Amino acid sequence: MVSLSLRFMVLLLFTMLAGVSAQGAALQKHMAEKWAADEFQPSTLTVNEQMQEMNWFIKASEPYRGMQIRVVSERITTHWYEASVLAKAFFEITGIHVVHELTGEDDVIKKLSAQILTGQNIYDAYINDSDLIGTHFRSDAVVALSDFIKAKGADVTLPSLDLQDFIGLKFTTGPDGKLYQLPDQQFANLYWYRHDWFNRKDFKKRFKSRYGYELGVPQNWQAYEDIAEFFSKDIKEIDGQRVYGHMDYAKTDPSLGWRMSDAWFSMAGVGDRGLPNGLPVDEWGIKVEQCRPVGASVQRGGALNSPAAVYAVDKFKEWLTKYAPKQASELNFTQAGQWPGKGIIAQQIFWYTAFVADLTKPGLAVMNSDGTPKWRIAPSPVGKYWQSGMKSGYQDAGSWTLLKNTPLKRQQAAWLYAQFVVSKTVSLKKTLVGLTPIRLSDIESDVMSERAPYLGGLVEFYRSRGRDVWTPTGTNVPDYPGLAGYWWQYISQIIEGKVSTQSGLDNFAAAVDRHLARLGESAPGKCAPKLNPLSKRDFWLKKSGSPKAVINESPAGKTLPYQEAVNVWK
Amino acid sequence: MSGNSKNSDYVAPPPGLINISPALLCRALVLVLLLLLSVSTLRAEPLNILTYEESPYALMVGKTQKGLLVDMLAELFSRTSLRYKLRFIPLKRAIITVERKPGYCVLPIVRSQEREANFQWISPMLVSRYGLFSQEKRSIPLVTLNDARPYKIGSFLGSGIGEYLLDLGFKVELTSLSALNLHKLKRGRFELWAADLISAREMMRKQGIKFGRPELVFYTSIRAMACYRGMPAEQLSELQNALLSMYQDGFMKALYLEYGVDM
Repeated sequence: MVSLSLRFMVLLLFTMLAGVSAQGAALQKHMAEKWAADEFQPSTLTVNEQMQEMNWFIKASEPYRGMQIRVVSERITTHWYEASVLAKAFFEITGIHVVHELTGEDDVIKKLSAQILTGQNIYDAYINDSDLIGTHFRSDAVVALSDFIKAKGADVTLPSLDLQDFIGLKFTTGPDGKLYQLPDQQFANLYWYRHDWFNRKDFKKRFKSRYGYELGVPQNWQAYEDIAEFFSKDIKEIDGQRVYGHMDYAKTDPSLGWRMSDAWFSMAGVGDRGLPNGLPVDEWGIKVEQCRPVGASVQRGGALNSPAAVYAVDKFKEWLTKYAPKQASELNFTQAGQWPGKGIIAQQIFWYTAFVADLTKPGLAVMNSDGTPKWRIAPSPVGKYWQSGMKSGYQDAGSWTLLKNTPLKRQQAAWLYAQFVVSKTVSLKKTLVGLTPIRLSDIESDVMSERAPYLGGLVEFYRSRGRDVWTPTGTNVPDYPGLAGYWWQYISQIIEGKVSTQSGLDNFAAAVDRHLARLGESAPGKCAPKLNPLSKRDFWLKKSGSPKAVINESPAGKTLPYQEAVNVWK
Repeated sequence: MSGNSKNSDYVAPPPGLINISPALLCRALVLVLLLLLSVSTLRAEPLNILTYEESPYALMVGKTQKGLLVDMLAELFSRTSLRYKLRFIPLKRAIITVERKPGYCVLPIVRSQEREANFQWISPMLVSRYGLFSQEKRSIPLVTLNDARPYKIGSFLGSGIGEYLLDLGFKVELTSLSALNLHKLKRGRFELWAADLISAREMMRKQGIKFGRPELVFYTSIRAMACYRGMPAEQLSELQNALLSMYQDGFMKALYLEYGVDM
């Protein structure tokens, strides 16, 4: 096209006004006021405080005006808001054009790996899950933000950033004490259930007479299984519609791996006690000594093919076959996410709260006419190997990550955008749109108190210590991009019935051990893997902690009323 | 035949050894030789690499295969013990073939989460940027991708980028050949054309059509060589290691420069 694009015109205007800086600044200030009034409300800051932050951005962005930078994140509501609304606001306020690309989470990781591998500056910044913290602190490819903000990024670090206000910093800090990533959005995997159905007197009576205890929020897997059976096999239909007591997904796809590595294994109790991740064995079954991974197989002290892991996968497979809709085995993460909204699912053992925004839309079968949901979220039930003091489930912390091979000026411009989208000026509004809170000030705001009844328990969760007990993948995992693929590839063979659970997990654990060995050889370092010698399984299973010996007995099903179940977080 | 024959030179083997006649032994040896020959033939069987015309990456000039990817493949396989045969067929058909047939690979295709489990991957082969082009005389101001929502966008089947935009809820019209989109945009059949920047530049040059710079460069993809799901792990690892070495020793950067592509 020959005529001028909007971007070009705005840049031209900025350039023309550069020589007349007072007018340029006035235009930007006007834009900032407009955005603050029209979009960035509500906020935990007053309008004056918001404008102080915006004035700082206007001033700090001067050397970068006219640049186009490129960032990437996964595709959830929060990032869609950033890419479509906040990137535009940032452009009009600072003159820096940000192309914020959206793609699948697995693609984000592939692209980040490709940039490290090829040296090509594919993106200027990534919003990358903190699950990669174990990779980042070992790789020497990622900028340590705690160093950056004191040196090369000092002039472009927002004075009111207030790092202590972020609830997820412990997830993005390496064992060396350095902060490698800045959280942009967080969501947890919690138990989801139809509160209205669970409170029906006829259902309660029927459940108690059959199972001998109250229908309520399950505290262990036995209760979850009983409730799944109750709705899928006993109730079967509500208002003429087939209903199910369990929902899941199992398509051979990268997201099948997340189901297991994110939460299933931690809930089953595969790892050791310890937060944010079990030590010395984490929920991936990888054992570390100091910071050095020494194996994933039981034969090397790990737990990836331990009795607890077999129990986890067996239950996953059994419930999928017995209680979930037939289609579940052909669905992936995204497709399955829409199912609870259909109004035919009674409960889901864990559900990503990133979907809260989608599941509170008026008119859905799971919403009341007054705008409150018919569903609630609560702590997920735990398996028989789980012990108090262990992580209880997964929390995703998508976090800003700068790579060392990005030119400094581009890192600095990207860092300005990163801080803009998490600044107190915009973060409460962003939280209300995407419901993925990162700041304590937002969580504790009056606005969130007012919204709480409409969000099914999300606010209560983030105001409780649950936010520290539901945690991302930790630092035991030294190469998330290289290891994540094994999960779905090996687990799918078990789900498809090609191998038994034990032999599938044996193969999986052996493959992870080989990968760890290769890593240790190719990149030796203080925290590089170094495998333990092979021992008999019993050698490790007889010791205390993980890997845990087989537990044959099943605890009796236990449930709690919603309020009591939620109080467990306090 | 059972027992001894008086007319035979056959000497009974000592007790404990298997009783095999020389004729049988000969036949067995021939069989073994045939088997070995067939195994080595199988091993030497070249990989069938499928690609499609997309200048400057891969194109046919007369009967000669040319382009950045053609050169890249030659170098890649020269660093392995494997042989290959390169053929041009439409992308969609190439993808279906590779999904079904052992010994086949296709490139370049977008490596995405949705496709991840269907293939084995040699990656990254190309990093491509995609832009939205408008007609020469019409400006469509775009700051974010969302600004393109009111418009109809043209793309081509199997490119990955059309599917990406469809997934995000955009109005997309797909053609079977990328080159057709230039004329469609020129005639106003859609307002925006989504295309890889390098190949768009080449297509515009070849067809003498000027759309100028894209309104927005909105997406980056990693394009890779996708191979049959059951490809042997040794082949995969040989190719992946060779590709990695091409980045490490600067071959890739030099190749990109030769074709005027900025890494």
